[in-house]
Amino acid sequence: MDFEWTGQPERISGSEEDREFEQELKQAMERRPAPPSLKRRIMQKRSARRTERHHTTMIWWQRLAASLLVGAVVAGGFGWRQIEERRKGEEAKQQVITALRITNQVLNNMNRKLTEHDRGEK
Amino acid sequence: MAQRWQPDFEQLVEEHQSMVFSLAWRMTGDRGLAEEVAQDVFLELDRHMERIESPEHALNWLRRVAMSRSADALRRRRVRGVDLWVEIEDKHGAPVEERQSPLETRLEQLLSTLPEAQRAALVLRYQEDMTPEEIAAAVETPVATVKSNLHRGLKLLRAKATTHLKEYIRGL
Repeated sequence: MDFEWTGQPERISGSEEDREFEQELKQAMERRPAPPSLKRRIMQKRSARRTERHHTTMIWWQRLAASLLVGAVVAGGFGWRQIEERRKGEEAKQQVITALRITNQVLNNMNRKLTEHDRGEK
Repeated sequence: MAQRWQPDFEQLVEEHQSMVFSLAWRMTGDRGLAEEVAQDVFLELDRHMERIESPEHALNWLRRVAMSRSADALRRRRVRGVDLWVEIEDKHGAPVEERQSPLETRLEQLLSTLPEAQRAALVLRYQEDMTPEEIAAAVETPVATVKSNLHRGLKLLRAKATTHLKEYIRGL
């Protein structure tokens, strides 16, 4: 028994017995019908997977939104703190200037009084 | 410009479920495992729908992936140490269909005892009526190897059939 490849539709040829065997094999190997529930199960799994994928996507978007929000709050807080520090610094500077101005006035007054006192003595 | 083909997943399942299931069953020899493989194949198709360009592409893609996933399932089984062929038809087998003669049923059982590569070549050749070139593309093997597998597989199957089924062969 030796089969020979011919490249034709009945591609494997040999004796009449061989061809009968091939024919029998072809009949035995017809496609079997799929279980009736197979398609339903595939569609259900597909639907479940899509829902899960949608859910996962939603979760990622929520996480991203939450991260952005936290980032914005932190950046805002940091910015606010810097502005506040600058404002306080400016306020302190103004207070120092005011204090110096008052001191200057007091010293001027004292200087004037001392000058008047010196003149009175003469 | 030609309009791009729009695949309909449900229609593809309806059209090809029998082909995918049969390939998986004949490759794994286990009805339950074949159902799992068929489900996986179609769910993978769902993920690749955008890349499917034509009905022929879908058919070839399904054949290739069904063969590949069946081989993977067999390998996983082997790793787990389950002797598949002891279980054939006993646990998961559907009742023998009326259209199948005892010889056809026995031939299928004998087919399941062939080495995997030979079985794959014979299943694609006789179930799907594919040429060696098409089989080579489906199982990603050189054409010469496919021809050799077909030749050896058929010879081995014939030898087994002659031993086991002499009375039927004579009766044909």
